[in-house]
Amino acid sequence: MLKIENLHVEVDGKEILKGLDLEIGAGEMHAIMGPNGSGKSTLGYTLAGRDGYEITEGRILFEGQDLAALAPEERAAAGLFLALQYPVEIPGVNNAYFLRAALNAQRKARGEEEVDSMAFLKAVREQLKALKMDEALLKRAVNEGFSGGEKKRNEIVQMAVLQPKLAVLDETDSGLDIDALKLVAEGVNRLRDEQRSFVVITHYQRLLGYLEPDHVHVLSDGRIVESGDRSLAERLEREGYAFLDDEPAEAAGA
Amino acid sequence: MSALLERLAPAAELPRDGFTELRSQAQKVLMQHGFPHRKTENWKYTPLTLIEQRAFAGSLDVGTPPAPPALPFDCAVVHMHNGEIDPSATRLPRGASLTGLVADDVDVDALVADGPNDAFAWLNLARLGQGWKLVVDEAVKRPIVVVSTVDADFEGAVHPRLHVELAPDSALTLVAVQTGGGAGLHNAVLDIRMSERSTLLHAIDRSGGDTAWIEHATVRVAAGADYRAFISDAGGALTRQDLRVSLDAPNARGAIHGVATLEGRALVDYHTAIEHHVGPSESKERFRILADDRATGVFNGRILIVPGADDSHSEMNTGNLLLSENARINTKPELEIHAEEVTASHGATIGQLDDDARFYLRSRGLSEREATALLKYGFAAAVFDDLEPGPLADWLLERLKSRA
Repeated sequence: MLKIENLHVEVDGKEILKGLDLEIGAGEMHAIMGPNGSGKSTLGYTLAGRDGYEITEGRILFEGQDLAALAPEERAAAGLFLALQYPVEIPGVNNAYFLRAALNAQRKARGEEEVDSMAFLKAVREQLKALKMDEALLKRAVNEGFSGGEKKRNEIVQMAVLQPKLAVLDETDSGLDIDALKLVAEGVNRLRDEQRSFVVITHYQRLLGYLEPDHVHVLSDGRIVESGDRSLAERLEREGYAFLDDEPAEAAGA
Repeated sequence: MSALLERLAPAAELPRDGFTELRSQAQKVLMQHGFPHRKTENWKYTPLTLIEQRAFAGSLDVGTPPAPPALPFDCAVVHMHNGEIDPSATRLPRGASLTGLVADDVDVDALVADGPNDAFAWLNLARLGQGWKLVVDEAVKRPIVVVSTVDADFEGAVHPRLHVELAPDSALTLVAVQTGGGAGLHNAVLDIRMSERSTLLHAIDRSGGDTAWIEHATVRVAAGADYRAFISDAGGALTRQDLRVSLDAPNARGAIHGVATLEGRALVDYHTAIEHHVGPSESKERFRILADDRATGVFNGRILIVPGADDSHSEMNTGNLLLSENARINTKPELEIHAEEVTASHGATIGQLDDDARFYLRSRGLSEREATALLKYGFAAAVFDDLEPGPLADWLLERLKSRA
């Protein structure tokens, strides 16, 4: 599904990712943890194709296709979704309108028919209900006046409606209380199947306890320095990132 | 006198009629004050160079006006073409009537002679030909739409004048659809009088084309009456709107919600004034300008609360989007508060499209062009939040979407 090879990324002339390797198979969920400033969000933005995140070396293959050649919207149409750490408020643009426009833009890019508006509304309503969100939010402007938790849940609603092949969740758990965290985790779990893959970027074990990722990686100073199964996340929770300094980093990508 | 004055207001009289007296009075005021120049504060961002360069030659071929654009909501249409209305083509709903203006309808003493600021309003009177009066006696449900068009090769100068009178407890939705054409001058005056407890929803949808499109509107709001304007303006070669809302009696309310979406070399200049002459009274104003390419947008929003107009409340907010390095926006809230027991808030911002927002939309699948259009539309449409949902709102928003 996704293959990242020796990825170097600069932001404002400063190298943030310094030779990152990662391979994610279909249906797999990978968690990426790491201290602040290690490059986690940079990885998310680079995958989604944000301006200013310049790949200086290495490449990202998504289903065999080099992502660098694709604009953000082309990546979305190809099946990539980034749930933002800080979802943006779009005043004046109605939530339902935006989501339908996005879905139709993706479908059009893939040569598919526009979505039927009744079926669309039904699907969105189901998702809202599952995430315990007020239906009135559909008529409100995108994320405007939403609480922090509502914004994060709205990302999950978008993901569920857009049905990506690969979803990257960038600290979707931050700022959520325990109930909202559970709702978000359930929302993610509902979407899991043998084809769909996830990259879950997080600081905390808590979300991973609900999601049960297949692999856990530690990102530090722009590279994956440790990989393992879920027990790695538990160890990080117990010991913090300090132990990383005591062990020689793996010669990643060498 | 300036060449412009000689061209637009030649000393030669129009044929003698009931307006002759008025015209010569107005001509005198105009001669005395002259047209705005570079040092006229109210006109400093809107140079008259364009108007000075035009010849305004020739008589108008009235002919048969083209069919007005079809509107997607139930309404009664009054079509003004090249500054003239053909009353026979006009069917108004019950409770409303349209008649020719007579000299007594114009209260010259009430007109402001404030240096060159209002020169075009005086010019309108000095060259008055046809004028009309729309009288509304009851709550009229069907919107009345005044469609103003000019020919594509229109090069003259016309000075239409419309008075609107609302009887006590009457109600009207008045929609102005204005589409410019050739390189002439369309210099209109709109004079609205609202009696006690009347309500007026006044929508304007305008694109000036090559025509210099100037409108001077005054709204007098009596006790308990409620005036609300919703304006969408795409500008043109030169578009200037003066809109003065005078809250004359207790519990009068006035609101102006406007947006200008400009591209190319379009120019729009809105000078609005909301005057609280007594309290309690309430006003609200929201104005947004989006300027792309080499367009220029000007907004000057004056709020006046006179001494003694206690318990007046006003709220003004302007937002502006600069979409290109060569676009210009000049925005100025102007608060003159002379009473103490009042609230008056204002805020003004000028910004650019938010890169975070654009990326967010693109990451969901919208193209860069679609994302930009949606953000512009969202920014612009927010001024219509106070408009009740329905066919009129849908139409205004659709028009806005096509301009975003």
